[in-house]
Amino acid sequence: MNHSIKRISVRAYGVAFFLIFMLGASAAQANDIENGKKLYRQCAGCHQIGPGASNSFGPQLNGVMQRGAAKVESFDYSSAFNEAMAPDVKWNSSSLSAFLEAPLTNIPGTAMAFPGVKSEDERTSIIAYLAAIDVDGNLTASTDEGAGKADSMAAEAQPRMLAADVEVPTHGVLHIGRAALAEEVAAWDIDVRPDGLGLPKGAGSAIAGVEIYDTQCAACHGDFGDGTGRWPVLAGGQDTLTDERPEKTIGSYWPYLSTVFDYVRRAMPFGNARSLSDDDVYSVTAYLMYLNDLVEEDFVLNSENFAEIRLPNEENFIADTRSKEPHFNGSVEPCMSDCLPGVATISQRARVLDVTPDEDI
Amino acid sequence: MTDINNDPKSTKALNSQLVKDDVKRAVSRRSAIKSGLALMSGGAIAASTASVANAVTPDPLITEIQDWNRYLGEGVDARPYGSPSQFESEAVRRDVPWLTADAKSSVNFTPLHKLEGVITPNGLCFERHHGGIAEIDPADHRLMINGLVDTPLIFTMEDLKRFPRENKVYFLECAANSGMEWRGAQLNGCQFTHGMVHNVMYTGVPLKYLLAEAGVKTAGKWVLPEGGDASHMTRSIPLDKCLDDCLVATHMNGEALRPEQGYPMRLVVPGWEGNMWIKWLRRIEIGDKPWHQREETSKYTDLLEDGLARRFTWVMDVKSVITNPSPQAPIDHGRGQTVLSGLAWSGHGKVSRVDVSIDGGRNWKPARLDGPSWSRSVHRFYYDFNWDGSELLLQSRAVDEFGNVQPTKNALRAQRGVNSIYHNNSIQTWHIKPDGSAENVEVS
Repeated sequence: MNHSIKRISVRAYGVAFFLIFMLGASAAQANDIENGKKLYRQCAGCHQIGPGASNSFGPQLNGVMQRGAAKVESFDYSSAFNEAMAPDVKWNSSSLSAFLEAPLTNIPGTAMAFPGVKSEDERTSIIAYLAAIDVDGNLTASTDEGAGKADSMAAEAQPRMLAADVEVPTHGVLHIGRAALAEEVAAWDIDVRPDGLGLPKGAGSAIAGVEIYDTQCAACHGDFGDGTGRWPVLAGGQDTLTDERPEKTIGSYWPYLSTVFDYVRRAMPFGNARSLSDDDVYSVTAYLMYLNDLVEEDFVLNSENFAEIRLPNEENFIADTRSKEPHFNGSVEPCMSDCLPGVATISQRARVLDVTPDEDI
Repeated sequence: MTDINNDPKSTKALNSQLVKDDVKRAVSRRSAIKSGLALMSGGAIAASTASVANAVTPDPLITEIQDWNRYLGEGVDARPYGSPSQFESEAVRRDVPWLTADAKSSVNFTPLHKLEGVITPNGLCFERHHGGIAEIDPADHRLMINGLVDTPLIFTMEDLKRFPRENKVYFLECAANSGMEWRGAQLNGCQFTHGMVHNVMYTGVPLKYLLAEAGVKTAGKWVLPEGGDASHMTRSIPLDKCLDDCLVATHMNGEALRPEQGYPMRLVVPGWEGNMWIKWLRRIEIGDKPWHQREETSKYTDLLEDGLARRFTWVMDVKSVITNPSPQAPIDHGRGQTVLSGLAWSGHGKVSRVDVSIDGGRNWKPARLDGPSWSRSVHRFYYDFNWDGSELLLQSRAVDEFGNVQPTKNALRAQRGVNSIYHNNSIQTWHIKPDGSAENVEVS
């Protein structure tokens, strides 16, 4: 009896030792994968990953380290990429790292309009994450997501503060919250108004905007702001607002240039918001003005000349005048009988268009 | 589908097949509608609803002991957060893939035809994101108030819980709801034509309390709420509206907001376009003028026929739709007594009346409003009638307490043209065919 218990204990110790050894060895790697997963978000706008991932702007990347480069048959790779990768090239950590540092420099002509990841540590993490995803999109290695939970449980074990010891602020009516620091307000308050209020110091030229636009914007918005697929068209469309199919662009419709600057700075590029410098935003804004035939290519936009600029359609925006329409405010008593002459006839059917999605789940 | 009268396995087999394979049923029904075939008469309709005028053989669902009558079901530990019945798999949000370029900046639709009452279940509230669903740990969330205030402030979630809070039921409608229907009948189903609306009970802090804490300066006239997601959504709202009835909500229908509805906190702007109800709310700025952000210039402005465009068209006008029957919810029982049901709402206040027409707007009868009638909340209406099996052109028309009347499509087009995109609150027509199926049509 004793003997067998001892044997079990020894075995248990052995297993425990092995587990500790394994956890120690893989902790750094697990960290990399976890970081890589976060960093991958900048890639996810074009490259889907995970179970059920499909191609979008770029090929899906499930098992990309195992399957080899340019190997998603359903994806139309650029000829430059196919040439660089043919016939059976597989990525390894160093070749992929080199490519990701500056895709357009490494394979000129690739459709991967992405400026690259400059930090080697970040590239290592992204590649560790890619390597941990198998061809079915499943994560094959463990990450240390649980670590944070252990920390918060430790924090809960701290003795609770006495209510009377809490400092009560003096502001306001109910004295709740704390004063915001100037740095905090500056970090979040980035909105810009038509009169220029909120503009950061800086400048950028239309010419400098070309490269930024081509690498950061053109994949969705087209080479000349003409839009790809159903992504927004940014340029052209002048004098179409009364047409059967108006084209509403910055040049043809938007009332204020500040909206362009503000929106690019807060939300673009799609999937990597807040990544452009203020000068880059000035440059892209200047280039968008150029694409809309509003300025010449040597134009420089800066915090001084910004508020003087007017967009062509500003005057054509009016207040909400709906309440003057006849069906408002009791001006019409709804008819109850014999409201229209004759028998109703069908003038249009949805089935003719047949654009309703099928009810497949 | 099998004809029940010739099937030796009788109703039990057919019924269990129909119920188990919900999806297949939907598809086959749909293809029947699509190909213009009659939805089977007599026996087939009866089979799908288990109602027969005269039974020839006893119903085995009654005479035989069913599995669920005999064997034990799952215990209380099986479903810690419950889900709808497996037989309700058609009651889901759906999207229209061709509408937008990317699912992360897109919209899906509430299955109005599958719902009853006035409250929308949290998991079925339509979604509209501009940068995907932000997943925010409430411990990491901050709400800032800055701009023209005495003391710029930072609140945590714990801080927010200490303010007096209120419970209010409001509808939220996307300004582009029915936007695809301006030029004509396009989508077959009220889920797609009208499904960008939902109605839930919010628990939240009146915005005026938060603003009072920071102290709004007298020059302050406008408010800019901002989201913490990757689109950093912003809209300009007049200060008066914020002081009147806006809430910073943390809960919907009793539970914490769903991530796709702005967890951990969102702005509630009663009666006004859904785009203004900023989700993942992280900042509120006070200013003396509007900011003219992207969503109030490039988008959410209403282009008129003469090339002028209305801006700051905030209120969602009086509107209604018949949810049953409708293209996704045909009449399956044949002629006889039936329930017509629908929803009505107005961003101005309460709905005072809904009228129903079965002849394409020639004659109208008042519908029966049932359930709670709250200002800027959805109202449920019914019209119970005996269907003689003939073709119908169904319409509903809502009137609100201020005498605003839901207009016909043509009346709205006469005022605005067809390129407004937003604020289409016109009367919807469903064509009910002799086989009970329904189609989205326009009438003249």
